Amino acid sequence: MAVKTTEQAITLAGAFVGGGLALAGGAIGAGIGDGLAGSSYIEGVARQPEAQGRLQTIFFLTVGLVEAMFFINLAFMALFVFVLGGK
Amino acid sequence: MIAVVPHEIHIEPGVHPERDWFGMTVNIDTVVSTLVAGVIVILLGFLVRRSLTRRTDDHVPTKLQMIWEGVVGEVNKQVEDNLGRVHPYVAPLAISLFFFILIANWLEMIPSEFGPGRLHALAAPTADTNVTYAMAIFAVVSCWIYGIRVRGFKGYFSHFLRPFPVLLPLNILEELVKPVTLALRLFGNIFAGGIMLALIAAIPWYFGMPVANILWKMFDLFIGGLQAFIFALLTVLYFAMAGAGHDEEHGHDDDRASGHDNEKTPELAA
Repeated sequence: MAVKTTEQAITLAGAFVGGGLALAGGAIGAGIGDGLAGSSYIEGVARQPEAQGRLQTIFFLTVGLVEAMFFINLAFMALFVFVLGGK
Repeated sequence: MIAVVPHEIHIEPGVHPERDWFGMTVNIDTVVSTLVAGVIVILLGFLVRRSLTRRTDDHVPTKLQMIWEGVVGEVNKQVEDNLGRVHPYVAPLAISLFFFILIANWLEMIPSEFGPGRLHALAAPTADTNVTYAMAIFAVVSCWIYGIRVRGFKGYFSHFLRPFPVLLPLNILEELVKPVTLALRLFGNIFAGGIMLALIAAIPWYFGMPVANILWKMFDLFIGGLQAFIFALLTVLYFAMAGAGHDEEHGHDDDRASGHDNEKTPELAA
């Protein structure tokens, strides 16, 4: 990624900052979402221990959906940093 | 840390070796990995069928058979819980999607890139948006056709006007966004795993690269399995939401070990 002009430098800097923002927002959202799902799961199992198997399926489904948002953010970060930053 | 890394970082997201077939440009490494993953799934299926029909005296199920039967039982239970019966199109679709996406995601664990500029022989096919969009569009269009068949044109399109007609744009948007999120969720997870593997490969060995490699690969195995499960389960749920509107009675009990309810699906009763 040889930087030749000021314009390219600004594009690269903007791409890095944008990628960082995307990762930050994604991580915060994913952390809060997983934490909420986990806490509801623990509460549900504490009330009714025999429901653990059924609740586990729903818990993993929710975790997968929440993490999906983070990974979509990560894919866009890779797009910004590696592809669009060099243009 | 970049100044210390002796290996160069060659990460080009979204760049695939291409061929031109019939005037269209095709990502050849995705095609090869899709074929390999498909062949592996079909081989596993034939192995299970062979162990099912073998004439042994005690009929002890093999491990592969138990895994396969476990998955089929679970999917049948989900399909039946959501659709009311083991639908002969939805259940095999969900099972095939699960196994194909599972093998396709796990194919990335095999290191197959022979040098920085050379061909990546077994890239994960689901790290290419073409594959995930194709699967998602296929699943959602089947879902629409199923909904129209079960509820009729008027019944299906009137569900956009519920619960309030003013929500019509939101309902249409939700319906159109379903294939996009289904595809991008799977793509983002596996693609990020691939990028992370490429970044870890740039760490020198004395910083603990093999440990980081193993830990990340274990996490990626888990994520690959989870995403396959979510894709299949969401497909079943979309079918159920498209066909809902009948009155379903919830009279069956939940602890069925056989994976289906004998009253609702009499053709599977042993």
